[in-house]
Amino acid sequence: MTSHSIAHSDEFRAGRELSLDHRKLGMWLFLASEVMFFGGLIGTYLHYKATLPTPEAALLDTVLVGLNTFVLITSSLMVVLGLDAIQRGHRRGLITFLGLTALLGAIFLGGQVYEFISLAGHGVTLQSSVFGSSFYTLTGFHGLHVLIGVVWALVTLVKAARGTYSAQEHAGVEAFGLYWHFVDVVWIVLFTIIYLI
Amino acid sequence: MKERTLLVVVLVTALLVVAGIWVALNVNLMPAEASTRAALVDQLFRAMLGLAAVIFLLVEGLLLYSVFRFRQPRGDDGDAVPVHGNRALEIVWTLIPALIVIVIGFYSFRVLAASEIREEDPLVVNVRSRQFAWTFEYPGTSVISSDLHLPVGRQVRFLITSDDVIHSFWVPEFRVKRDATPGQMAELLVTPTREGTYPVRCAELCGVGHAAMGLSSRVIVESDEAFQSWLTQAAALPADPIEAGRTLFTRYGCQACHALADAGAAGAVGPALDSLADPNGPHAHAHGGMDIRSFVEQSILEPSAAIAPAFADGLMPKDFGTRIPANELAILVDYLVAQK
Amino acid sequence: MTTATPALSPRRYFGWSTDHKVIGVQYLVTSFFFFLVGGAMAGIIRTQLLAPDSTLVSAEAYNRLSTNHGSVMLFLWILPVLAGLGNYLVPLQIGARDMAFPRLNALSFWLLVPAGLLMLASFFVGAAEAGWTAYVPLSISGPDGQTLWAVSVILLGTSSMMGSINFVATIFTMRAEGLTFWRLPLFSWSMLATSILVLTATPVLTAGLALIAMDRLVGTLFFSVPAGGDPILWQNLFWFYSHPAVYIMVLPAMGAISEIFPVFARKPVFGYRMIAISSLAISLLGLTVWAHHMFTSGMDPRLRVPYMISTMIIAVPTGVKIFSWLATIWGGKIRLDTPMLFALGFISMFLIGGITGVFLAAIPVDLHVHDTYFVVAHLHFVLFGGSVSGAYAALYYWYPKITGRRFDERLGKVHFAANFIGTNLAYLPMFLAGLLGMPRRVVNYDPRFTELNQLASLGAFLLAVSVLPLLYNMIVSWVNGPKAGDNPWKAKTLEWQVSSPPPAHNFDQPPVVTEGPYDYGEAPAGSLKPSPAAAGD
Repeated sequence: MTSHSIAHSDEFRAGRELSLDHRKLGMWLFLASEVMFFGGLIGTYLHYKATLPTPEAALLDTVLVGLNTFVLITSSLMVVLGLDAIQRGHRRGLITFLGLTALLGAIFLGGQVYEFISLAGHGVTLQSSVFGSSFYTLTGFHGLHVLIGVVWALVTLVKAARGTYSAQEHAGVEAFGLYWHFVDVVWIVLFTIIYLI
Repeated sequence: MKERTLLVVVLVTALLVVAGIWVALNVNLMPAEASTRAALVDQLFRAMLGLAAVIFLLVEGLLLYSVFRFRQPRGDDGDAVPVHGNRALEIVWTLIPALIVIVIGFYSFRVLAASEIREEDPLVVNVRSRQFAWTFEYPGTSVISSDLHLPVGRQVRFLITSDDVIHSFWVPEFRVKRDATPGQMAELLVTPTREGTYPVRCAELCGVGHAAMGLSSRVIVESDEAFQSWLTQAAALPADPIEAGRTLFTRYGCQACHALADAGAAGAVGPALDSLADPNGPHAHAHGGMDIRSFVEQSILEPSAAIAPAFADGLMPKDFGTRIPANELAILVDYLVAQK
Repeated sequence: MTTATPALSPRRYFGWSTDHKVIGVQYLVTSFFFFLVGGAMAGIIRTQLLAPDSTLVSAEAYNRLSTNHGSVMLFLWILPVLAGLGNYLVPLQIGARDMAFPRLNALSFWLLVPAGLLMLASFFVGAAEAGWTAYVPLSISGPDGQTLWAVSVILLGTSSMMGSINFVATIFTMRAEGLTFWRLPLFSWSMLATSILVLTATPVLTAGLALIAMDRLVGTLFFSVPAGGDPILWQNLFWFYSHPAVYIMVLPAMGAISEIFPVFARKPVFGYRMIAISSLAISLLGLTVWAHHMFTSGMDPRLRVPYMISTMIIAVPTGVKIFSWLATIWGGKIRLDTPMLFALGFISMFLIGGITGVFLAAIPVDLHVHDTYFVVAHLHFVLFGGSVSGAYAALYYWYPKITGRRFDERLGKVHFAANFIGTNLAYLPMFLAGLLGMPRRVVNYDPRFTELNQLASLGAFLLAVSVLPLLYNMIVSWVNGPKAGDNPWKAKTLEWQVSSPPPAHNFDQPPVVTEGPYDYGEAPAGSLKPSPAAAGD
């Protein structure tokens, strides 16, 4: 008896009965752990924000980073449109929107780098104060996640170009989409607690 | 329930309760009770110990009984009579532990509240810890000691901190410890009730000297008279005013930051104090119209009032006013004013 | 009936395999190696502590040994050995061919290797010496090994999280037909409850460790007191994980003994649903109690009581489990084979650990015994008397399934006796030492504690010796032991319905489940057979 005699779909029967795709479930579980990771860093940032004076906060460029936030939110829209495209079997649409996602993600990263350089010019660095340490660590880890997301977007784009995805089978795109939206949501939280309040 | 079963349950319960009470009354696992807290904590502990004995004997007893009574008979390979559950029993063994836990929690809360009542006019002792020694300071006096002397029967308010890493100030006979965290001041209230000498342990790993730090300092709880006489003797100064001034200069750590040849000091964080009172000396211009004595006193008590050029504000401790008693301040000022 | 399978070639165990059974054994063997390493460190520690002023090891070496003893035992032995058991058993217990993500599964195991090597390598550059708790600011300064330690623990946490993603996805989406959640074996329930904790709590420790690593390597100021850094912040980040960690370490062991009692008493599990629910309750409550490790820290005094309450409440579902186990064996037909002995030992010793946990939850008592040998005794009763005994029970129970051989029962009983006596002898005196005034982590101590320490060391040496019959038994039986057959214990869970060892893909045909896993006394033993899918419901 070989393994191929057991249909692949039979293995995940229980999942289908619960309307759970194991790959999407896996991604949700991973994202839950990432939420807790950022939670630890956010908790650290908020603790020090509440207990230490942070004169450097006046140097934050809310307008620039606000625009950058808009860029990231738009990139999430691109992902939604791309997923919609492949759900209707439009491969080219998916490729286009993935490309736009990666581009907007890269622009966001550029904006972050600009903000970092500008702050460093004013003496705010990782080592200059507790604020500096928490600000760069929190936004830096987020930026790292965006970078990974941009690479993943490009990889997904290449796979789409090769015809990997179809209207019936595009779990990989969904998984990427979940990740990208998560990164966006985390940024909205970060932007709020660092720049707005 | 059958009558026989009921009788067995009642008997076993009675035996367990007796055992528990016996344990609570007779088993003493603690060191000497030397504080008001200790008496309260020990009562709580012994009650919990009695309860723990009951629970332990009950569970172990049921386990051992089962193992002997329900052994698989030789040659019998079949299954036992299936029982999947019993709603009533499951409710009972959920509710009773919940009740026990609520009672213990409430009792613990009462003990905690009773242990932390502030009394009027406690004796304040600063506990400074560093790698790897304890230093006990008595504000209002100049006494700094590595042994902790306390008068019996008076509440002590410990103010605990560390100069480097986290240590933890623990006196087992007092039944309480508090971590000494750098950058923070922790308060601890204790009323010693029993004269004697007890160890001071460090209860937070602080480096290679952690064990040694728990084997060096002691607490000496003594009568108020003995305590006062120790305090006086520890604070005693030489009779000669210049020698007394020199002693105070180093006792309060001035030499750490200020140079003063007469005291053999070479500190460079603050201005040098040689020729402090020389009318033609480097400090002459700074008096701002004050007489020299007032100026020196102000410099000690309000360091930010006048900063010497090229030196920074905010470096000199601002709490000398509470740490140096008036008579010693006078001696110190006289000594400094005499530096020409 | 199932087809016979040739034993897996030993070479498979040394390389990359995505077969959960191979990965499971890799975890078991690797973690056991680290158990011996951690045990050797304990041996040196207990030898040093035979005399109050011994100079066998320097204070610096002692701090490094005790730090790494704890770290190795927790992160490289207990967590991985239970994960390994989960890996081996969960797909079999739910009627699946493998885990949901087999390659991720292999990666989780292989992360252990560099992580373990890093922790051992730290001894060459000055090992971590700030305790497994790594409190700041002490851990910020100190030797380079502290950084290696932090990186190692980050890798181990990552491995743990990968495993948990697999367990949850597998249990939710790959159960066989008819295997509803209320028919899920209790060991698999425990892996589910454990995974919730791993995924929620581990990332917070990772974040904290990243902060320490950055302070040490890059000069950030997170824990720099002069810059305003707060040492208590580390304690919160650390204990948010490390308290749930102890439930991660005990829930699978409890799951294992929940499997053993019905089999060796030939009775259904009493209160099966309540045991499953209690596992989840312990898991969720376990996330709310961490600050009970910080009662003496100077934390906001008003917050102490809520943590005391939540901590004490955990005693309730724990008690439910213990009483349910007792009710399972009550009225049964008990066989005292080695797995059952270890399971019974688990109850006895975990009981002591659990009761003393309630003492520690009571704040006034904790203010006295925190950071003393009372805590060392408590933690060893729950972790050694509890988790390790449970792991031993599981190893003996599933040994025939994994190896296809029977182990020597007499040696098993010798191991049990030495383990039970050794554990009690080693750790009971420590309660007293702590109450009387002996702090933790001390290379030397006040001579008044000498006899208590000598008793403890004696027990520790007995424990060291107790490993010998275990090792001999496990190795020699695998090579030479009598064949075990499919179901030597006549158990009803799915893993016992296939050959020993199981075939490469576990089940020749997907099983269809028609009854619960512990329905003893209601049908002939071993009657739960996988039926062909065509038979329907």
